[in-house]
Amino acid sequence: MASNSWQFAGADDESDDDNFNPAPADMSDEENNENDEEHTHNHRPAGKTVRQASSPVPDEEEEEEEEHDEEEDARPAKRSRRDHHDDDEDEEQDEEENEEIDEEEEEEEEEDEDDEDDVHGGNRRKRRNKDRRAAFFDIEAEVDDEDEGEDEVGDGEEIEDFIDNAHPDDIADSGRLNDDRRHRELDRRREMEASLDAEKQAEILRERYGKRAPARGYGDMAIVPRRLLLPSVEDPSIWAVRCKEGKEREVIFSIMRRIEERMGTKNEVPITAAFERGGVNSVMKGYIYVEAQRQNDILVALDGILNVYPRSNMHLVEIKDMPDLLRVIKTPNLEPGAWVRLKKPAKHAGDLAQVIDVTENGLEARVRFIPRLDYGVRDDPVFQADGKRKRPGVPGPRPPQRLFSEAEARKRHLRHLQGNPQTNSWNYNGDDFENGFQVKDIKIQQLEVKNVNPTLEEVTKFASGAEDGTENLDLKALAATLKDSAKSVAYVPGDIIEVYEGEQQGVIGKATNVQGDIVTLQVTVGDLAGRTIDVPNKGLRKRFRIGDHVKVIGGSRFRDEVGMVVKIVDDRVTLLTDQTNTEITVFSKDLREASDIGGQGSLGQYSLLDLVQLDATTVGCIVKVDRESVVVLDQNGDTKQVQPSQITNKLPKRKFAVAADRDGSEIRLDDVVREHGGQQRQGKIIHIHRSYIFLHTTTTNENAGVFVTRANSVTTVAAKGGRNTATAGPDLSSMNPALKRNPAANGKQMPAPRTFGPDRAINQTVVIRRGGHKGLLGIVKDTTDTHARVELHSRGKIITIPKADLSFKDKTTGKTIDINQRGGSRGGFGGGGRGGGEFGSRTPMASGGSDRTPAWGSSRSTARTPAWNRDAGGSRTPAWNDGSRTVNPYDGSRTPYGGATAYGGIGSRTPAWHSGSRTPAPDGFGHGSKTPAWSAGSDSWGSKTPGYGASAPTPGASGDAWGVNSSSAYDAPTPGGGLSAPTPGAALNAPTPGAYSAPTPAAVSAPTPGAWQGGWGSGGDAVSAPTPGALGAPTPAAYYSAPTPAYGGAAETPGGAPGYADDD
Amino acid sequence: MFFLHNLERRVTLHPSYFGRNMHELVTTKLVKDVEGTCAGDYYIIAIMDAFDVSEGRILPGNGLAEFTVKYRAVVWRPFKGEVVDAIVFSINPHGFFCQAGPLSIFVSSHLMPEEIHFDPNATPPQFTNNADMVIEPGTHVRVKIGGLRTELGEMYAIGSINGDFLGCLQA
Repeated sequence: MASNSWQFAGADDESDDDNFNPAPADMSDEENNENDEEHTHNHRPAGKTVRQASSPVPDEEEEEEEEHDEEEDARPAKRSRRDHHDDDEDEEQDEEENEEIDEEEEEEEEEDEDDEDDVHGGNRRKRRNKDRRAAFFDIEAEVDDEDEGEDEVGDGEEIEDFIDNAHPDDIADSGRLNDDRRHRELDRRREMEASLDAEKQAEILRERYGKRAPARGYGDMAIVPRRLLLPSVEDPSIWAVRCKEGKEREVIFSIMRRIEERMGTKNEVPITAAFERGGVNSVMKGYIYVEAQRQNDILVALDGILNVYPRSNMHLVEIKDMPDLLRVIKTPNLEPGAWVRLKKPAKHAGDLAQVIDVTENGLEARVRFIPRLDYGVRDDPVFQADGKRKRPGVPGPRPPQRLFSEAEARKRHLRHLQGNPQTNSWNYNGDDFENGFQVKDIKIQQLEVKNVNPTLEEVTKFASGAEDGTENLDLKALAATLKDSAKSVAYVPGDIIEVYEGEQQGVIGKATNVQGDIVTLQVTVGDLAGRTIDVPNKGLRKRFRIGDHVKVIGGSRFRDEVGMVVKIVDDRVTLLTDQTNTEITVFSKDLREASDIGGQGSLGQYSLLDLVQLDATTVGCIVKVDRESVVVLDQNGDTKQVQPSQITNKLPKRKFAVAADRDGSEIRLDDVVREHGGQQRQGKIIHIHRSYIFLHTTTTNENAGVFVTRANSVTTVAAKGGRNTATAGPDLSSMNPALKRNPAANGKQMPAPRTFGPDRAINQTVVIRRGGHKGLLGIVKDTTDTHARVELHSRGKIITIPKADLSFKDKTTGKTIDINQRGGSRGGFGGGGRGGGEFGSRTPMASGGSDRTPAWGSSRSTARTPAWNRDAGGSRTPAWNDGSRTVNPYDGSRTPYGGATAYGGIGSRTPAWHSGSRTPAPDGFGHGSKTPAWSAGSDSWGSKTPGYGASAPTPGASGDAWGVNSSSAYDAPTPGGGLSAPTPGAALNAPTPGAYSAPTPAAVSAPTPGAWQGGWGSGGDAVSAPTPGALGAPTPAAYYSAPTPAYGGAAETPGGAPGYADDD
Repeated sequence: MFFLHNLERRVTLHPSYFGRNMHELVTTKLVKDVEGTCAGDYYIIAIMDAFDVSEGRILPGNGLAEFTVKYRAVVWRPFKGEVVDAIVFSINPHGFFCQAGPLSIFVSSHLMPEEIHFDPNATPPQFTNNADMVIEPGTHVRVKIGGLRTELGEMYAIGSINGDFLGCLQA
């Protein structure tokens, strides 16, 4: 029996009722024999199941309900029956009970057949119509006499069934007459109700039949578990039959016709259903699906139908796949404002468009997009070149997207242009343009509605199209579009996920596995905690907590921002970005736990805080990096948003860039400076560009803490490190424990010897020995104590260079010279001192000293050697020690005078020295000054010699070494110095103040008064002054402070020595 | 929360320091290098002692000596949910920044009680509930740490003053 009813499901068009039951195939129940009925009985539940699964097909109960409704006006009896059998289940049970009753067996069978008919729904309507027609006349009779109805031909049976079932109960309950009357009354009342309000009735009907699939599905679910409704092996099988693509529907209609034709004949079409789900985009195109008991039935049914090829290729659809055949994919709703992509006009394929309106029937949408017009520029040449018509449909290279320009259009195609300048709407070559956009009605099939993913850049073009230039982005529509994107939600194992919809609502867990649409959750919260469940990713959202560090992913325009969550409302999460300390709100689906830090700091080659050239005169510092643009703070303090393409280039960070602050001090990168006026902002220099400096501060987050100002309006707060000590390698002076213990002993802290008159370095030719300008020749233009401004020959610019980095050259010969030697003896030593006590500056002096004058040599051999030897020999007369210790500091960095005096005090040397050196007064002074220094130097130099090494162990020697050291830093760090220091006594003592001070008193006390007297004797007046100072010397402060004036005084006293007076 | 934490560090010493008091120097250098720094997710507040200084090893090439020092330090590790006292140092319409020792905490306006709002017209701009609570730079606040982010050598936190006993400290 089942095989005799037909069902067609127009799967494509669900809402179309006609497609559900198109086949009129009808058969009379009488024709079926007993066996058939038996068969039907067996299969009924299954048949029902099939229908259930394929939702578009009306199910039994509904059908019956339907029937009741349609027939209710006409048939009171039926009404009554219905009253008693509201529940389908009841009915079924009744039926089953009845089955057992012999009397009613016949009826039962009929009813079953009826059911079966219902199942396949093919002939329902027709029959019903008949019923209706007959109703007016037959009802009463039928009510009265079931048997009569039973005898009637097929169409009547159904009615009788109902009546039949209803009656026994009725009879049992009450009198027959009474019952009858009541039924009729009730029926009339209902009829009245229905007829009163046609609209309402329509409503009811619509409610009932309008949305068949879902209503039916749920209605059933209450009674039968869904899985029982799925097709089973007992159901007819479905075969996929190849057909010509695009002809699917045609084939189905042919089948329908054939069924109609052959209905009631001997060779009825032996299939139960056929349907197709073709369509351009369907994956099921090229096939029709036919349901039949046997494969052979299909061959019979389709024999001779065009465009279908049952013989070539026929697949049996597996039972588990059957429900999928009829799965409905919801066609997305298009809302005005939504973004779509064009598929069809080939010229515009892939272009973004915005929906303006959707037509009533939902088949077309009016969209606007940016036209690709060439305004005939390319048309004509092509035409002429070929000499023949351009073939239509062959797209050339497509013109770029550009808003419609009326002027352009006028140039060549004035004739084709018409429109209204007021509304800025035009018709050009048959196309409509509004506000520069092309507006067109396009079939929805030709629009890409899903996965549009408009980029910000594309969307911006639409926004900027507003005439007043204001941005009128409909972010809501954009968000909706983006949200619809299928790929937008991507769960990754490890995500904390919350189920917010469906059965598992409220469950929170950690994703452990993601496969397609199914996410496996390890539940962490709630009753299910610890369990693992699978959930479809539809009703899921990611869950975050305040304080989580998250990164924006996906389609949001904040992509790649990283920040901390500060607020969560539903699935909207507000976070504070790390980069700019601003708050942004995104959907939780666009977030994920950030494992990395920093996040988006760069766009292409440009990253945050880079200095970029915007045009020839403008530079700017990048203060914000977006997905597709950067925000730049230019030198004038204005911020602007630019595309990377608008940036000319990136200016590399110039490490050695130097500027001068308002005090004229040099400032460099990383220095901390403060604005002098204005807001007194303070910041670290990140860029120096000409006279502008870009500063970065952490106290504000405006412009990422960057602000710009002029170099000459800031004052230095803290230069990075000490400028003068900024040398390569470890800072030995700071590392040297000895120096650290006695900061005062640090030679470099002593002021350079005062020179008078203009600096001799000025106007000298110099070569730069170090740094970025190394090797360049220049002329000193100006100097400070430590630095010289040098005009470079090669570049014609003036730079500031530490004097120590300069090497003075003879203007003509190019030989290295010592300006201070030339210029005067006094400066000679001063130069050495100024140079920071470096070897470089001193060594030549020493050598210069030795070979320049015979006196030196003589003094060395005669006067000095004995002293030295004595010293080395361990005798170390207090005089020597004393001399070196006391004097050295002064002569090392102070006036040479003192040194000379001290040495003079040593006795034998003084006269010799003086006599030797004095002859040319200045030179003599130089020698005077140098000798102690040199000797002191020679001490330390000598420390490498075995002789000195031998002497070193004595505490005196170490004291000596320190004495020497005190004048300059250079001794201690040298291995020599280091070597001498570690000798048992020295090593212990040197770093500790006690140790250091220890030798001093000894040294101070050591000198015999005579020696002292003698020493100072030559100093004349000075004698009295220094002595207390020297005695007080053990304290470093006294050491330096006290003697200075004394010596200065001594030096300048005319009584000191005639020769010295010259020098001054 | 403060912890006493045993740590280890390698300290290198310039040859010029070589001598009898090297261990002392090593310790000094350690203190100088380590104290007050942020080590990942905690701050080293103070070094109690260096209880084990290994033998020095001369590094080939530069002559520096390397010592492995084991030391005990007081460290502060801020936790999510920890309540700390801090001093406000910067205010903007979205919230304010405050400093709890070395840690900079941002308190978003979302994480303040409802009645507190930003008043841009006050000088300096402040968050206030128009009653006893006025938050401006210099104000002492009690903040609950809501989240922490560590960067190399730095930590950032967001905090909340939405809760009992949080907010301005009347002092």
